[in-house]
Amino acid sequence: MQARIGLPQGLLHYQYGPVWERFLTELGAEVVPSGETTRETLDSGSVLDEICLPAKVYYGHAVKLYREVDFLFVPRVVSVQKGQYTCPKIIGMPDMLRNNSEVLPQIIDIDVNLRQGTRPLFQAVTAAGRVLGQNAVTSMAAWYKAWKCHTPQKARPVLAGQPAVALIGHPYLLYDSLISMNVMTKLQQMGLAVLTPDMVDEKTANQAAGVLGKKIFWSSSHHLAGAALALMNGSWPVKGLIFMTCFACGPDALIGELIAQRAQVLGMPCMHLSIDEHTAEAGFVTRLEAFTDMLTRRWRA
Amino acid sequence: MKLAFPHMGHLHIVLKELFTGFGCQVLETPPITKKTLELGAKYSPETVCLPFKMTLGNFIEALEQGADTLVTCGGVGPCRLGYYSEVQKGILQQLGYPFKLITVEPDLIAVVKDLRLLAAGKSWREIYRSFKQAGAKMAALDNIERQLNLIRPREVVAGSADQLGFQAIQAIDGAAGLAEIQRIEEKTLAALQALAQRQYEPLRIGLVGEIYVMLEPFINQDLERRLGQMGVEVHKTMYLSDYVRAHLLRKREYLETYKTLAALAKPYLGHYVGGHGLKSVARTIQMGQQSYDGVIQAYPFTCMPEVIAKNILPQVSKDLDIPVLTLAYDEQSGEAGLMTRLEAFVDLLHYRRRQKKAGC
Repeated sequence: MQARIGLPQGLLHYQYGPVWERFLTELGAEVVPSGETTRETLDSGSVLDEICLPAKVYYGHAVKLYREVDFLFVPRVVSVQKGQYTCPKIIGMPDMLRNNSEVLPQIIDIDVNLRQGTRPLFQAVTAAGRVLGQNAVTSMAAWYKAWKCHTPQKARPVLAGQPAVALIGHPYLLYDSLISMNVMTKLQQMGLAVLTPDMVDEKTANQAAGVLGKKIFWSSSHHLAGAALALMNGSWPVKGLIFMTCFACGPDALIGELIAQRAQVLGMPCMHLSIDEHTAEAGFVTRLEAFTDMLTRRWRA
Repeated sequence: MKLAFPHMGHLHIVLKELFTGFGCQVLETPPITKKTLELGAKYSPETVCLPFKMTLGNFIEALEQGADTLVTCGGVGPCRLGYYSEVQKGILQQLGYPFKLITVEPDLIAVVKDLRLLAAGKSWREIYRSFKQAGAKMAALDNIERQLNLIRPREVVAGSADQLGFQAIQAIDGAAGLAEIQRIEEKTLAALQALAQRQYEPLRIGLVGEIYVMLEPFINQDLERRLGQMGVEVHKTMYLSDYVRAHLLRKREYLETYKTLAALAKPYLGHYVGGHGLKSVARTIQMGQQSYDGVIQAYPFTCMPEVIAKNILPQVSKDLDIPVLTLAYDEQSGEAGLMTRLEAFVDLLHYRRRQKKAGC
């Protein structure tokens, strides 16, 4: 019988989801995605205490799936870049899941730790294959096929006589329509072109982040900061910056400050937008509108 | 060069000894007060953890006093501590202070470079002697503190142990030479032992959590002393010397301990999550096995590793039948709220002990 594997749609799913889905399908499993975030996801995720919203959302997605699947695919992604980590909360996620719910199916929590080099990736891939009864060769072949789905970079929008704004935030925040309250669509409707960190390629971001006195050791934050600096400085015509974060995000507390410092030096408007599960939409929209008005006025002048 | 560094418990005594030995002029950072906290919180990002705010406050006060070189530590993550210095540097520059920031990164070549800069003109033998002396002070202070935690719940005259402790800290701060440090330590330990003591079995509570909050009494609102006065024997799982020996000197016995702890924590937390998160889980398990009466986890609000531990500890507490109280500190923490929680926790532990004695 085909194994049914649940794929919670949160955190790193927004970066590697398609790859994982293809990989598991190639291995002969049936993949069950958890779908979009809903109010219920948030409610069941609130079991976790004091933690950031995306982690709660992830938990909610996992809980939503447990009845329907034989396995939950929750890889422990410790590091994806040499010398860097993802985030402690991502590292600890499989354990938080296990210790807060007694009804979960078997969790596939293989370690992916590329901090010292890429060799552990092969071990991770074969370990995942073994759980599904596949040998190393099949697993590796599946992984190579799957990795082709990985598209780290998004296309930039074409500017047509409107001011552009850089919207800086983690993908799991910006692209989750419930927790981000569709911020991108809202900004576009207000007449702005929106540029996000994943429209900046890795090389440019790395180069821009080189001006920092110390390399940031969280890989996604490193990219965020690099992209923000590239968007502020380079040939990119952004008129302002919105740093979107969620309450209690550890790395963002520091990175947001770094970006704000640089923006201040350049005299670029920078808004810090912090959200949590209690954020009301009306107040959120008011802030976006005020910022957009200000940017548009500066742009016309 | 006027050197200053942040406070953390009695770290300043140790570092003062070290840097004076290097031939630096050390400016004593003003002790932590409410003002330090206010200054730090005012210029820090809102949701950053408390140690960031406190050390920033320390830096501002030291710079106001005329310091021109600041020493702080670095790190490789994933705990935020490793990236403090870069952000703090930016904030202080924006405030317009002229200064030089030396970040000591955990990397041998970098450390040697820092040493050559700080101890310019000193031979390696002299540098070694400074380290030795500072290490002796650190060990003495920690041993006295450990003893204080044992005596405090048993003392007949309230405050007598703390008075001895206070005098010893002053004496050690002024001591010169290994022999004198050792003499003060031995004298104090003997005097503590000789205090009038009550004969009974006080509650045993383990203290786990984040190092800064555990070591700095201003931040944890004198947690150890308060518990001691309530008749609780506090076992702190981390002292400054433990940290230095495990993380900086990488002593074998400490690395072995870490392996044991990681194995203990494995069923609950299978990977290092930065800071002391893994150790908080492992130590709680250990104390459950050693039938302690309870465990208190103390950490700064939004601390990433400890928040993970916090979300796992309820399960540990249930499995090993050991009550766990978590205390998250931030700049808003009030004294009355803490007292209420501690009293309730201690009451609960007494109740459990009576129940156990009655055999039900």
